[in-house]
This record gives sequence, C-alpha cells and structure tokens, in this order.
Amino acid sequence: MYGWIWRHLPGNAWVKALVSLVLVLAVVYVLFQYVFPWAEPLLPFNDVTVDNQ
Amino acid sequence: MRVIVRSVSELCITLGTLIVLFVVYVLFWTGVRADGAMSDQIDRLHRQWSRGSVGQAGAAGGRPAAAAEPEPYRAGRAFAIMYIPRLGATWNKPVLEGTGRDVLAKGLAHYRGTARLGGRGNFAVAGHRRTYGDPFKDFPRLRRGDAVVLTDGTAWFTYRIDKGPYKTVPTDVEVIDPVPRTSGYTRPGRYLTLTTCDPEWGHSHRLIVWAHLDSTQPVEAGEPKALRR
Repeated sequence: MYGWIWRHLPGNAWVKALVSLVLVLAVVYVLFQYVFPWAEPLLPFNDVTVDNQ
Repeated sequence: MRVIVRSVSELCITLGTLIVLFVVYVLFWTGVRADGAMSDQIDRLHRQWSRGSVGQAGAAGGRPAAAAEPEPYRAGRAFAIMYIPRLGATWNKPVLEGTGRDVLAKGLAHYRGTARLGGRGNFAVAGHRRTYGDPFKDFPRLRRGDAVVLTDGTAWFTYRIDKGPYKTVPTDVEVIDPVPRTSGYTRPGRYLTLTTCDPEWGHSHRLIVWAHLDSTQPVEAGEPKALRR
C-alpha cells in the first residue's frame, strides 16, 4: 500500500518525502477535526449525568 | 505471498498508529480544547459582568429575598463561575445551562429544570471526571464541610458539602430532586448537587456530593472567606 503510494508520487525522493509529509499531516488533521470527535462519544467518558440513560 | 504479508503488516501498523493517535486525542487534545473553551467562557462572563449587564434582573435575582422572577438561563450559555478550594486554589470553571455533550465540553453543566443558583430547591451541576480538561478528576477528595463557591456576577454563594461522595447508579435521578433522596436532607432548602462519573474512566456508576447554601454576599463585599487564603 505505502510502496504503491510512494511509487506514484511525482518527482525525486526529496519531493516525494515532502509530499508524503503533507499527506500525513492532512490525514492527521482530518482525523482530529472530524473522525475522532465523531468516535469519541462512543466511549463512556461523556456519561457524567444521572438522567440520560 | 510476499504482497499479502506486506499488506497485512502495513495494515497492522496503520491501525496501531490510528489507535495511538486516538488516545492522544482523547487524553490530551480534548483537554487542550476544553481548557481553551473554559477560559473563553470565563473571560466572556467577566466582560459581560464588567459591562454591568448581568442578564439576571439585578442584584436581587438569585438572592434569598428575590421578589421579581429573574430571567431564565439561556441554553448553552455560561452564567456562573464555580470555585472549589479543595480541588485546587486556582480551580475555577464556568457553569453552563444544559447537560448536552457540547455543553460539557465547555465547562460544568447545570441540569435544566433544577433550581437556580442560590434559589430554593436543588441547584444540580454535572462535570467530566476525565477528558475535556478533567474538571472533576479529584472529586473523591471532596469532604464534608468543604466549600463550593459560585458567583453569578452579582453575588457570591457559598455552599458547604454535607454528604459525599456518594456512589450511585446512572438511573438514580432522585439524587437531583429538590430534596434529594438519600442525601439526609428532610426539609426543602437551598441545596447544591454535583455529579460526575465513576469509576474514573468508566460509566457504570455516578459520584454525587450534596451541599447546602451556607452564606450569600454581594460581589461588592469582596470574595467570601472560603476563597481567601
């Protein structure tokens, strides 16, 4: 999977490394901004009240 | 064959990284976001109060001798700041109306339909034990006689804890009744109930403390004794 991505990135090794870094940061951003806030309420840490069960 | 092994191992590494990132998010990032949101709320309250528009129908609003019906709290809006010296000299959190998830991410949450701050009945507040800034992390350290001080910009309300931490189940809604069940109170009064989850990282139980209104003073009189060091 990662090998396939690496082979399909344009430019020489330096450009590839830079592009992959940007890609990784983009994925982390999407995770923290959208995916994790959606997944976090599935964990029990939000249940602090006595009436919502 | 090699392709399969490689793909599976890449998948495992990806999954592991994902889990680590999620743990970082829950343990660290929610706290960073919540600390920012809470200090925002407190700043906003201070600004609002310094402008003089308390939004609560004057100084008599939450006081025992309230005559006029004060303005109801707006859902999702902060209306008070809570101080609990036992949880730390610098521990102060905004109290917002409503107990939705978005509200709990910004501070402590006042149960809708329970009494107003300082009012007759039971002023019930919930807070996160862990994650989102860990506001009630040290909840089990609360003891009888501890002060819970709140201000709504016009007055200071000092509550004294009478009982707790009391462990109960999540469906035990009578703990936030006007005269809470099992609290030991027998007559109507001005009470405060704090709730959080128990165990620390779980949700099978709830921890409760009850307090009664001990004293009230206008903000012009300065901080109450419980906050002075």
